Amino acid sequence: MTTNSKLTKKDLAKIYWRSCQLDMSWDYERQQHIAYSYGISSAIDKIYKNDPEKKKRALQRGLDFMACTPQIVPFIMGIDVALNEENVNTDTFDESIITSIKTSLMGPMAGIGDSLIPATLRIIATGIGISFSMAGNPLGPILFLLTFNIPCYFIRYYSLKFGYKFGTKLITSMANTNIMDTVSYSAAIVGLMVVGGMIYSQIWLDLPIMVGSGDFAQPLVTYLDQIMPGLIQLGLFGLMYYLLGKKVKTTTILWAVLGICIGLTFIGSLF
Amino acid sequence: MENSVLTAFLIFLVCCLPSLCTFIGIDNVGRPIVSGALVGLILGDLETGIICGANIELIWLGVFAIGASNPPDMTAGTVLGTAYVILTSATVESAVLLAVPVATAGKLIGELRWTVIDVALGHKADSYALEGNTRGVQVMHWAATAINILFKPIVIALAFYFGIDLIEGIVAAIPTWLTDGMMYATGIIPAIGFALIARMIMSKETVLFLILGFALASFFNLSTIAIAVLACIIVAYQIFNNKRTGREVVADDNEF
Repeated sequence: MTTNSKLTKKDLAKIYWRSCQLDMSWDYERQQHIAYSYGISSAIDKIYKNDPEKKKRALQRGLDFMACTPQIVPFIMGIDVALNEENVNTDTFDESIITSIKTSLMGPMAGIGDSLIPATLRIIATGIGISFSMAGNPLGPILFLLTFNIPCYFIRYYSLKFGYKFGTKLITSMANTNIMDTVSYSAAIVGLMVVGGMIYSQIWLDLPIMVGSGDFAQPLVTYLDQIMPGLIQLGLFGLMYYLLGKKVKTTTILWAVLGICIGLTFIGSLF
Repeated sequence: MENSVLTAFLIFLVCCLPSLCTFIGIDNVGRPIVSGALVGLILGDLETGIICGANIELIWLGVFAIGASNPPDMTAGTVLGTAYVILTSATVESAVLLAVPVATAGKLIGELRWTVIDVALGHKADSYALEGNTRGVQVMHWAATAINILFKPIVIALAFYFGIDLIEGIVAAIPTWLTDGMMYATGIIPAIGFALIARMIMSKETVLFLILGFALASFFNLSTIAIAVLACIIVAYQIFNNKRTGREVVADDNEF
């Protein structure tokens, strides 16, 4: 095992500060992916400095879909870089495990994180600040910012620290390849179930198509929902999955979706 | 005070501040409670600014970005609403009345970034990653960040300078089929992201779990946490079961 790629405290500090920019380059397709890959990019560079092929794959993995509470994403980043460190030293490492672990973690962690940080902590901070603000006292905004952001500094710091530690431990306990397979299979199960849930909750399409005539007309969605709620979402996901399997580029799909949606709405607006 | 170029520039700075503060880990500067006060500070009436900010904050208290649903642009609404009240000595209530439509219009600027600009930069980042060009990926983030910092503040500062009536007129002139079409697209685009993940980790054996997760959400309206808990139980059950029977769980390769 070589030790030349070991990340230092300084490298982790870089990840910490970059993780603060997680929502700066957000988009609808893969949400925080650019900022996430930016956050770990220098660490990836250092880890894979002697292995350009693995580095290419690591950079691509960094750009996977990422949606999680920004303050606790450092936890996932910590695990991610720890696993990458192991990957560079082991030939038998199954790289898909990194994607599976990231995917299975972000959903539940976002669930906990969003209800704790932007919901609970922010409401507490607002509650403290707003009574001063209503009276026009400048302490209002100041106390609001302090109450929200000071805990967040600690959350980010410990998330990254524990994530990196946890990732390193995960590796030593996975020395046996059977365990590796079990972990990768298990992570895939949790990840896929979470993705399945998000397909229902995050994709939406209100089809304005009516079935029947006169007073008996009902939206088509009502009939589809009687079969299974969210059939449209599942259909859209299936379509994208099929298209990606046909090696259609994601950019092409994206422009097609925009074009079709705007085009159809335009045609619809003519009637 | 007039809508001078200097004041417009200060408005621009106030709108840049929320993004700039995240660089040092300070979030939520764009919330009404803070940006209202900042507008008050630069327009010379701190007290009114703070009070306007607090009143606007109350209407959006429960609103924050969660997952792929983005809230109205509270910063745009607060800045223009508060500035209007301070400059015209209108009532605090009119700040709230103005903030709501402006925030809705302001979100359209964000939509343009989130559906077109940042997605395009993301795809460019993909191609850099394919070449192993770390700097390229980083530059894409910087580009998206720079657009994020500058784009919206410029529009808000211009709106402030040329007057709020003009912005309302422009927004009204955008045909609804364009905004509606964009809206439909934002609902569909996440499907691409999920399909990309599924392509990576799904196998013939595990496709059932994706459908199970979907069914739990659609039939029982379970939250993501609930689904994750159930998934962990299934995984734990399988591991214990395999230990007892001595079978091995072997992951399929990722071809499907």
